[in-house]
Amino acid sequence: MELTKDITLGVYIPRKTTVHQADPRSKILLTILLITLLFFIKTYTAYGVYALFALFLVWISQIPLGYAVKGLKPMIPVLIIMWIFQLFLQKPDHAQVIFSLGFLEATDVGLRMGTLMSIRVLLLFLITTILTMATSMVELTDGIEALLKLFRKIGVPSHELAMTMVIALRFVPTLAEEMEKIVKAQMARGVDFDRGNFIQKTAKVFPIFLPLFLNAFKRAEDLIIAMEARNYTGGGGRTKMRQLRMGPADTKAFAAVLLFTLILVAVIRLFPPPIQI
Amino acid sequence: MDKLIEVKDLTFVYGRGTKQPVKALKNVNLDIMRGEFLTILGHNGSGKSTLARHFNGLLTPSKGEVLVDGISVKDRSKLWEIRKRVGMVFQNPDNQIVSTVVEEDVAFGPENLGIPADEIRQRVDWALETLNMTEYRREEPHQLSGGQKQRVAIAGVLATRPECIVLDEPTALLDPIGRNEVIEAAKKLNRDEGITVVLITHFMNEAIESDRIVVMDRGEITLSGTPRDIFDQVELIRELGLDIPMATQIALGLRQRGIQVADHILAAEELVNSLCPSS
Repeated sequence: MELTKDITLGVYIPRKTTVHQADPRSKILLTILLITLLFFIKTYTAYGVYALFALFLVWISQIPLGYAVKGLKPMIPVLIIMWIFQLFLQKPDHAQVIFSLGFLEATDVGLRMGTLMSIRVLLLFLITTILTMATSMVELTDGIEALLKLFRKIGVPSHELAMTMVIALRFVPTLAEEMEKIVKAQMARGVDFDRGNFIQKTAKVFPIFLPLFLNAFKRAEDLIIAMEARNYTGGGGRTKMRQLRMGPADTKAFAAVLLFTLILVAVIRLFPPPIQI
Repeated sequence: MDKLIEVKDLTFVYGRGTKQPVKALKNVNLDIMRGEFLTILGHNGSGKSTLARHFNGLLTPSKGEVLVDGISVKDRSKLWEIRKRVGMVFQNPDNQIVSTVVEEDVAFGPENLGIPADEIRQRVDWALETLNMTEYRREEPHQLSGGQKQRVAIAGVLATRPECIVLDEPTALLDPIGRNEVIEAAKKLNRDEGITVVLITHFMNEAIESDRIVVMDRGEITLSGTPRDIFDQVELIRELGLDIPMATQIALGLRQRGIQVADHILAAEELVNSLCPSS
């Protein structure tokens, strides 16, 4: 078992493109804006325009398209289930029944809603993947911390949240490595993880997670002591080595997204959905 | 040399107020001089780590006093003053690295002290350079070897510019190569940067080049002196459940078999020179 290899969370592809060089704050804000736009789209035409823009972003950020799309794979079963639910359960008064399976009736509205929703989720995933693949974890957490700082006045612990995120990310490989060791140790003592029915297989997971969790607590305690020994007292009075700075890349990014938004709004206006949903 | 850390009649009890309090330290007295390389030796449970955790106020004395540069560790308002002077490196390198990038982790300490960004940059570069880790500065810590991780941890402490670095069994989880890297780094800091080093270990071979050794057993200091003074007392060391450096052991065995070997042998080279003086 090579668990460490399976972790694609936060895979960063270092390049020197405009997308990479833009300030993480701009990238996070623009990603949020782009995701919000997704929820105003109700036509295939507009989604087509959106998808073109997403592909454009993939292209200029030099992310291998296959790699970006690979991340979408695990979503597909979920999407299919969602699509079936939408197909049969959306029944407003004006909906037309396309076909029926016993008591289940598929409607045109359901078909459209299900398909639109699936496209929306895929595009949402793609846009976030572009953000995480073109932004290093350090930049990303710096950006989140800086943005959350705006809410500090209303009691949002911006630094603490960002710190928690950094530590969580830092320990993902460590814990994965440890889990691998535990699994191998159990296999060496004769545990066969592939045999047995679902319940038997699940029962075998406990002896892996128990030591993993106990060790995680021990690690947390060690880490707290180490952080205190290095003068950590929370966010107050702290400085940062890396300073975030906006530059020409940010101007380009904002301009591009603004232009795209205008085009998208025009497309939405010009091509209204054929049926009311 | 003046005293940097003074330990006076220190007693520490774990689990005070519970049914079974454990006296981990009993009336310990120790002075650590500015600029010295001190090794604290002892087997597991001898109280060596408990003692070390008083040096930067991670623990406070149950009885007695610990002064760092004249400041009492009991004075909680001065805690950060003490921790600025005394940095600490721990056993498990995985559990003391905070960030996902090496240089970011080294910056963590200075960032906590509120130092301006430019200066942090300088300090981080300097600390990584001093520990020969510059080429790894953009790496992720989990991809480094144990010895390299521990050097990152030491760089992180060094970047806060402490007067003293306490290494609490820094080599216990490392392979021989990593162990060597860390000990060499500690020696370098002491020699080139004039930093007071307190090394806590149970490996004898790591102790032989220090200025002074303190041996602990059951919460008390049982022996104290230069490496030669200590390892001459072979029988006593064995009674305390500690090993004797390999070269010393061989020299001893040879002498018992009637072969002429010089006294006070600690390192392999000394043994070689003594046995083959011409080479």
